[in-house]
Amino acid sequence: MSDLTSARTGVIHDIGYQRYQGPRLGRDYALRSLYTYSLRSAFGLGRSFKSKIVPMTLGAFFIGPALLFTVLRSQGLETVTYIEFPAALTIPSVIFLALVAPELVSRDLRDRTLPLYFSRPLSRTCYALAKAAALFSALMLLLSLALLIMYLGAVFSVEGGLTGVLDETGDFLQGLLNAAILTAVPTSLSILIASLSGRRVLASGMVVALFMITAPVSTLLQEAAGSEDLQRLAGLLDPLTLTSGVTAWLFDVENYATYLTETSPYGLLYTLAAFILTVGSLLLLVLRYRKVAS
Amino acid sequence: MRLNTTIMRITMRSMLSRKRALLLIPMPLLLIVLTVLCANSSSIATAEWVEVLIGDLGVAVVLPLTALIIGTSVLGSEIEDGTITHILAKPLPRSEIVLSKLVVAFVLTMVTAAVPLGITGAIAGSNSFAVALLVGCTVAALAYSAFFVALSLLTRRPLLVGLIYVLLWESTLSALFKGIRNLSIQQYAISITDRIDNSDLLISDLSVTVAVVMSVVFTVVGTLVASDRLRSFNLTGEAA
Repeated sequence: MSDLTSARTGVIHDIGYQRYQGPRLGRDYALRSLYTYSLRSAFGLGRSFKSKIVPMTLGAFFIGPALLFTVLRSQGLETVTYIEFPAALTIPSVIFLALVAPELVSRDLRDRTLPLYFSRPLSRTCYALAKAAALFSALMLLLSLALLIMYLGAVFSVEGGLTGVLDETGDFLQGLLNAAILTAVPTSLSILIASLSGRRVLASGMVVALFMITAPVSTLLQEAAGSEDLQRLAGLLDPLTLTSGVTAWLFDVENYATYLTETSPYGLLYTLAAFILTVGSLLLLVLRYRKVAS
Repeated sequence: MRLNTTIMRITMRSMLSRKRALLLIPMPLLLIVLTVLCANSSSIATAEWVEVLIGDLGVAVVLPLTALIIGTSVLGSEIEDGTITHILAKPLPRSEIVLSKLVVAFVLTMVTAAVPLGITGAIAGSNSFAVALLVGCTVAALAYSAFFVALSLLTRRPLLVGLIYVLLWESTLSALFKGIRNLSIQQYAISITDRIDNSDLLISDLSVTVAVVMSVVFTVVGTLVASDRLRSFNLTGEAA
């Protein structure tokens, strides 16, 4: 360095450009901007019409069943409850994650735009968490919209006056909370997996493979397990069975994962596992972005 | 219709370069490892694990997913990168380009999905089951490849359509509505396997005639549609 400074011959002339004197918006602003931008791009907002095709098709897979269930319920038929709804839409959710997660992270890796982000006050950790939050919010937005449709349909046809409406509202809010818990695990896993590849096709494939391979493997182990205890533990392998177990334990649902009752220690174990899985994948995501070549 | 060895070589190289090839290995490897584990385990009946492992995992997930990733990449990655212009600028019949790409996609899918499935078949049952599974999956690999290559030219979002086809149409809807099985490549694979081998490890109620005829239809129509789409291919593409 000293050689360079001593041999320096060039001079930087002040050619009269005005310096920026206004307020600096700082890291929080950058984080917020990145989050909003990512959330918008998940739905193709601010992009061409062609980019909106994917989110619109996927949205239809969420809204369609919601409308169907609303109509069925208004006819007095027994349908899916708010709590069961996210599990009923597992496949559309997996497709959504497989297509949107790479859209959020793989493009930046591939186009080498990361150095542009990191040259701002935005830190690497912030970037990773903003992307994860955007994916979570995107899926959550679709699920809440679908649940809201079901709720509105129910609230106008519910019997029993104000108490009926209040009960319905309680169920709806519980459903929202459940959806948030159920969304956290798969989204954090998906964004981590997607961040491993700059090729969107491969990233999508890996996300689908994660969910679609663990499910039969877990089923297989449950069948092969000798004891009941082992059987319950095998359910931990599949992120989607895992989240169903959490729902069953937290909200006392009988329909699926029937072996998880409130008194069983496994409900707590499942919930802990879901928590560790979420936090763990977020940590790994942060680590991944600490090292990623930019 | 001829094959172009240069296009095939370049495609093969781009598909197998660096880490990318490694990503195709875990799925079939996992399948074989699990099969070996199950075959040596005494606590679960063969018919049970074959249904889950070969049926639900192998034929329903590994085969279509591999075919989807490879089939949409052979032409799709060139479109995405813009290198398709170099190929289109050469004085080659479009059918030759499509056919060369299709052969590469088929061979790769076969090696990374159909052959491992055949191996699991050999571990699971008799040699005849292995051969039957290999034949069934090879036919399906060809049909899937042609379908997904055509898809990558028909739509800008081949992955969306492909995933909906594999996960919703073939897996979910065909379980609800039996008629859909007539349009499910996965069912063709199972039907052909069931017909060649009579050990009843995989059972399909789809007639084998329908399966064979429809596999041919998928392959031929896919190839023709892809050639036709490439003939009038719009180079400007979408605004990012």
